[in-house]
Amino acid sequence: MRRPLVTSLVGILVIAVLSVVYTQVVGNKPLLGLDLQGGVSVVLKPVKKVDSGVLNQSISIIRSRVDALGVAEPDISRQGDAIVVQLPGVKDPERALRIVGTTAELRFRPVLNVLPASDNPATTTTAAPTTTTTAPSTTTTTSKVPTPVPTTTTTTTAPPGGTATTPREQDQPEKTVILPETKAGNVVRRYQLGPAELTGRVLKTARAQFDANNGAWAVNFELNGEGAKKFDELAAKYVGRQVAIVLDSEVKSAPTINTANFQGSGQITGDFTEKEAKELALVLRFGALPVQLQAENSEQVSASLGSDSLRAGLGAGLVGLALVVLYMILYYRALGLVVLLGLALSGALMWSIVSFLSANNGLALSLAGATGIIVSVGVTVDSYVVYFERLKDEIRAGKTIRSSVDRGFARAYRTILAADAASFIGAALLYLLTVGAVRGFAFFLGLSTVLDVVVAYFFTRPMVVLLGRNRAFTEAKWLGVARGLAATSEGGRA
Amino acid sequence: MSVTDKPTGSLRHRLYQGETNFRFISLWRRWFLISGVVILIGILSLVFQGLNFGIDFEGGTSWEVTAPGVSVEATRDALGPTGQGDAQVQILGGRRLLVEAAPTGPEEQAKVTAALAKLAKTSASNVAIKSVGPSWGGEVTSKAQRALVFFFLAIALYISLRFEWKMAVAALAAVVHDILVTVGVYSLSGFEVTPATVIAFLTILGFSLYDTIVVFDKVDENTKGLAASGRLTYADTVNLSMNQVLMRSLNTSLVAILPILSVLVIGAGVLGAATLKDFGLALLIGLLTGAYSSIYVAAPVLALLKEREPRYRAIRQRLDARGGVGRGAVLTPAAAMAASGGMDGAGLGAEVPAGEARAPKAPTPPRPRQQSNRGAPRPRKRGRRR
Repeated sequence: MRRPLVTSLVGILVIAVLSVVYTQVVGNKPLLGLDLQGGVSVVLKPVKKVDSGVLNQSISIIRSRVDALGVAEPDISRQGDAIVVQLPGVKDPERALRIVGTTAELRFRPVLNVLPASDNPATTTTAAPTTTTTAPSTTTTTSKVPTPVPTTTTTTTAPPGGTATTPREQDQPEKTVILPETKAGNVVRRYQLGPAELTGRVLKTARAQFDANNGAWAVNFELNGEGAKKFDELAAKYVGRQVAIVLDSEVKSAPTINTANFQGSGQITGDFTEKEAKELALVLRFGALPVQLQAENSEQVSASLGSDSLRAGLGAGLVGLALVVLYMILYYRALGLVVLLGLALSGALMWSIVSFLSANNGLALSLAGATGIIVSVGVTVDSYVVYFERLKDEIRAGKTIRSSVDRGFARAYRTILAADAASFIGAALLYLLTVGAVRGFAFFLGLSTVLDVVVAYFFTRPMVVLLGRNRAFTEAKWLGVARGLAATSEGGRA
Repeated sequence: MSVTDKPTGSLRHRLYQGETNFRFISLWRRWFLISGVVILIGILSLVFQGLNFGIDFEGGTSWEVTAPGVSVEATRDALGPTGQGDAQVQILGGRRLLVEAAPTGPEEQAKVTAALAKLAKTSASNVAIKSVGPSWGGEVTSKAQRALVFFFLAIALYISLRFEWKMAVAALAAVVHDILVTVGVYSLSGFEVTPATVIAFLTILGFSLYDTIVVFDKVDENTKGLAASGRLTYADTVNLSMNQVLMRSLNTSLVAILPILSVLVIGAGVLGAATLKDFGLALLIGLLTGAYSSIYVAAPVLALLKEREPRYRAIRQRLDARGGVGRGAVLTPAAAMAASGGMDGAGLGAEVPAGEARAPKAPTPPRPRQQSNRGAPRPRKRGRRR
């Protein structure tokens, strides 16, 4: 009887120590949520119902945008039909929100120059590519006649200010920029582009269509009321020249304008495959994302406010913990020390598990989670109370401490299991059925319930049983277990 | 609470020894009246005043910045030129400034951010901004409602399987009570309801069930011994169980409330974290009402339900007819423990004979209730039930 107890006690202590050592050696640390370290979070929802494939596609597009931002631990996930983007530790939150949150802005920029794909000074003066196959062209819907027009009018001179491709974050509408056009991930050519003249807002809709007249795919677009006027102004200015459609700092297409009068709708023709035409139509409609997303909810937390909150959470937790332990020691004496040890053990295991999940599953400890942990102290200590009060019952019923500790545990453990199961069901349901950072709260409460059951069985039981057999311990004046249990009638003369 | 026996020691001592003799069950009308009045006031307030939903439900923008020593008036003045002079301004913990306003455009938002940064003598990047679409809160609410429905079903199923369905009904009655009381308190006090509030409160429902289940587990144990023996009515068994686990309930509630008070006082009050305030408040209210309802709602409801069963009605009739010691007195736990001594072998079986064990303690023997006329309402009540 004694051996298994010792084994269990030593076992769980060794596991706790090993897991803490492992955490230290591997360097796992709990990942702080963005409300504790500062950062940006945004919840994006599609404006209309879409299937999950479209949503997943949006997520991967957002992910590639975020990767370009260089955030250390971005978390982009789907919750229901919402996309949650969390970017802890972002330096410039406004820009991050702009890039992630908005459907990227579609811009129409005049083409000043066509450059080769590679940024090689020796080839800057080469002429623009021939127009025969790849050069797109525009026709008015009224004429319906695809008339390819020679593309370039202003080539041959090296653009001022170098020929380096403009980095994404310097792609500002009012600047002259050099941006690439890619096909299947490879840059096929680059364009030097003037300041943006129009944005995608002028567009009402766009659709890919097979044009039977010339047996090729084309993209038809319609302009909105104000857009029609602006687009005609643009067309008048650049008629006979190329205008690039730019999105996410990439040239999607650079058709040549061949009329000054679009009257509210137009067609882009060129050497499109069906897929290319459909993609271009999508781009024109929504920007890069296959569905228009709306920022439902956004949050920016400054780093200083985050560390403030972290301090508040830690402070509250420590004071709460101290109060509980103090009360336990005052009330149960030596058994209160068991509570202290048990909490330290739970804490070590919790720390290791949270660190592990942080490192491997990107679990972040938010302020809500921290509160969950603080509250879980209450849950954990509850089981000690149930056990110790049960001990009191047994001793009052006339049993010795020695025999009470075993039987008392068996009975109390049933109660603890029943009660913890109810708590756990609640926490699990909340975790599964809710959204947002508050999930963390349910997660940590649920985790601590499980830990509670484990620690009660493998630590509290053997610890108390072994202590109960130790006469020196049960009879010691100040730390006497008997005193803690008020067994004044028993052998322990406290 | 009413005490029927003359104290044999200080209340503290009897609590500690589990020798209290509170009439939790027989005074059920009183407890239900108290709860009913509280809930009624809450519902009236809900109808006429509603709840104070935060920006997460209504949609809007909030700014938060650390600005020691800045007053609400100064903030209002600073916000005046931005057109947000009538925004809601709060100071948390004496150093954190929280401004909440209706939804704003990006430009207006930037203006407010700049104004607050200037006020707090810091840079704009130190101002936390949160903007919420109007449908977000609605979604949190609908998710929470769904979670609540599943929670009810799961708990009902669990308790029915683990104990019995009548206990499930009683436990859920307590949970509904907690929900109504909490909603009422939020409506009356005008505390802001945020998603954190909703979720924290839902979590605490599982937590307050903990107390109820501790009581029911004891009732379950006792009914197998005492009530099965026919020496005690079901209601008295429940009452006895309540007294036995009273200290346990008080202690579990206390150790749960201590950390939450710390969250509220230290985290939110002194250090000024708004989320901690939302959490702490909901948790505190939920825990307090949960502690109350597990004693004063769940247990009496259970007793009322079970007393309708023919088996327990028969025991009550027989004990009433006998009118003797066993029936009249609400036993003290210690005495009941002794009475049950022999038969409850599994849990209480004594190595030392029960009587001997108690002897040195000079416990209070079971004795008839002094005001025996106070039992008068009971026959009437039973008559109605039949």
